[in-house]
Amino acid sequence: MSLDIRLTESEEILKTAAFNFMKRDISKETLMALHDSETGFNEDIWRKVVDMGWLGIVTPEEYGGTGYPMTTAGVLFEALGAAPLPGPYFSSGILGSLIIQEAGTAEQKKVLLPQVAEGTMVLVLAMTEAEYGWESGAIKTRAEKKNGDFILKGIKLFVHDAQAATHFIVPLRTGPDSDSVSLFLVDKKTDGVSIRQLPGYLIGRTFEVKFNSVKLPQSSLLGEKDKGWSPLTRAIQKSIPVLCAYKVGGCQAVFNMAVEYSRVRIQFSQAIGRFQRVQETIIEIINQTDAARWTTYEALWKLDTQGLVPESVHLAKAVASEAYFQACNLGHRAISGISYSMEHPLSLHTRASRYLYNYLGEPTYHKQQLAKILSS
Amino acid sequence: MNFSNEYNVEQKEFAKEVRTWLEKNVPKDLVKPRSIFKVSREQWEMRRDLCRKLGQKGWLYPMYPSEYGGGGLGGDKSAVLNNEMAEIGLSLPPLYDSGKLAAPTLLACATDEQKRRLLPPMLKGEAVTWQLFTEPEAGTDEANQQTNALRSVKEKDYFIVNGSKIFVGGLYAPPDQFLLLTRSSLEAPRHQNLAMFLAPANLPGVQIYPLDLFPDGTLGQVCYQSSDSAPGVKHSVFFEDVKIHESYLIGGDYDGWKVTTATLTVEHGDKDTDRAGTGAAFIPRNHLVEKFLEQCKNNPGIKSRLLQNPQLQTDMVEAYIAGQIERLFYMRNAALPRAGKRAAYAGPQTALFTKMLGLNMSAYLTRVLGPQALTSDDEWGLEGGLFEVCERSGLCIAPGGTPEALKIVISRALRIGR
Repeated sequence: MSLDIRLTESEEILKTAAFNFMKRDISKETLMALHDSETGFNEDIWRKVVDMGWLGIVTPEEYGGTGYPMTTAGVLFEALGAAPLPGPYFSSGILGSLIIQEAGTAEQKKVLLPQVAEGTMVLVLAMTEAEYGWESGAIKTRAEKKNGDFILKGIKLFVHDAQAATHFIVPLRTGPDSDSVSLFLVDKKTDGVSIRQLPGYLIGRTFEVKFNSVKLPQSSLLGEKDKGWSPLTRAIQKSIPVLCAYKVGGCQAVFNMAVEYSRVRIQFSQAIGRFQRVQETIIEIINQTDAARWTTYEALWKLDTQGLVPESVHLAKAVASEAYFQACNLGHRAISGISYSMEHPLSLHTRASRYLYNYLGEPTYHKQQLAKILSS
Repeated sequence: MNFSNEYNVEQKEFAKEVRTWLEKNVPKDLVKPRSIFKVSREQWEMRRDLCRKLGQKGWLYPMYPSEYGGGGLGGDKSAVLNNEMAEIGLSLPPLYDSGKLAAPTLLACATDEQKRRLLPPMLKGEAVTWQLFTEPEAGTDEANQQTNALRSVKEKDYFIVNGSKIFVGGLYAPPDQFLLLTRSSLEAPRHQNLAMFLAPANLPGVQIYPLDLFPDGTLGQVCYQSSDSAPGVKHSVFFEDVKIHESYLIGGDYDGWKVTTATLTVEHGDKDTDRAGTGAAFIPRNHLVEKFLEQCKNNPGIKSRLLQNPQLQTDMVEAYIAGQIERLFYMRNAALPRAGKRAAYAGPQTALFTKMLGLNMSAYLTRVLGPQALTSDDEWGLEGGLFEVCERSGLCIAPGGTPEALKIVISRALRIGR
């Protein structure tokens, strides 16, 4: 059996369940309120998501998850991206879980992963700093040793979903080499940790996280000291295609909105979709969407069948991030006036397309990585 | 989901059979490496001969009904045939042949008698067809035909044809027959005044002249190893009182637009991609992008240019990304039937993407490779002149529908505003 773009039966069921959940449980008002909230979720929705097992979707069964393939996680997140549903489901359920799986000791995996799957622990990666970047060199904040503990003084900036976290995963420089990065698990309630949401319509739930002489015991080390960079990178790269699927869901939703509008909006006594310039704009949306869709799903399939293939991850991220960004621009062109209202569903996608653009590496970063691979 | 494109067991067996046959029957002179842009008349005749041999086996048009000379094979075996031909640098058919458009048109619109008479010579490789639609006044507005085919007053079963066609044909003339669109009424309204013929090309009054164009064939022909149909010059064809018998009329006297629609549906779609059965599909490889990336990686002079200028690295990566998206679009198209899905926009979307990729490639080649991409010089040119041809041909995005026309097709398929 070869080339096949069909979802499996369980993926179809999951997709339907996700769409039904959002249609039934998340009204337009609720969705707007969630986007305006600091955490992106409320108690009721959190409980429902936990009950459906979505937070454990890539956590192995032995650790309390459902251990589904990455493609299945992609299908789920594509459905969530159609709203788009905010909340730390990706941050914790996908990226957080994968970091623990890649970096944690056997004991840490046993203790932490079930809590992530149950939703009692919410993990958020607090990696980037003022000199923004996703290479190891961009991690400049050090954790100094003092009396057996680590002391953390510094600022992590543009941390997505920080307020929703119970714990941060904080990469810090602890050794002399460019790669000597350690990962720390920091309880948000620790003395000295302060969070501030950054203002800005397009920035979403993105925060400044200040560490003011925060004392971190030895036990807060995730995995081995100085050896955090490699597992962190692997976890990030594995998670990226799932994030891309979320963006694909967003692109598709924007396309659907634009086509629907083209049929009902009457100007010059006809549906505006009769005008070629409008057609052109909408066609470009589906072109972007499909490019994102197929690079993403091939990357997911490779994760499931070949393990981590960096080329496919960089390709998917470069394409999907740009596609979502452009799709929203084009959606505004097609729908125009009313689309700029804060009440219009397109505005939610426009915001998501911006605050997720740089998250886990912007397109130029991933294209740089591709350039290295293509030249080597 | 499954993105692997490996042969299944049955396909592997068939591939062995095909390779053995190709080894025995394809003249060494036609196998790569050889210049795909300098095809001599002698090599052309070899290709015609190969067409006949393939046709005898039903392998020239593998998916067409065997009762008409096709192979009656499914998508799986057809994909194998296309793949194995591509491996040795040949397309299927291995020359420019509008039979790929004429055959499905006949199947959709011709009478049973016509199918029995006209399909076998095409499908068996005995007759090469040229599509004759475009005229000086009828490009994107295909229906604006000026070439008249009017019933003779004296001999009512003959049409008298006068007019001209432009930008038609392939490397060497003449073909054996034309899929010819004409105007059959001077009074009837637009779209109701056209007639389509599958007419012999050697009728008195037909004159064929090569055109002096700087693009060398269509971009698809130079991009894809597998579309190596010996691209070449386009032609004008003039008709002066040419008598065509009504037995060559496809459909009724005024059904030409309906018949054209059948052809254009195939032409705007992805006629080069075979439908997957349960095994691997045929996905054309873009050897232009591949060779370009190889140069970026292995040519010391080009590597140096890239190192010195990050903007050129961007161009290299954009070419790579576009090539990957193109490949995935072809895979998606091949997988759609098996997924039980219809997406009428998918073929035209892919055709549009490919065109724009080609146009963008000519810019990337110029920037990244520098003047070396502009010459076919044996010493200083690159890849046997591949890039030089592509520079010229990338500009030519009209054949098979302009991007603007394709967007209209896509728009209708997506029901934008409808």
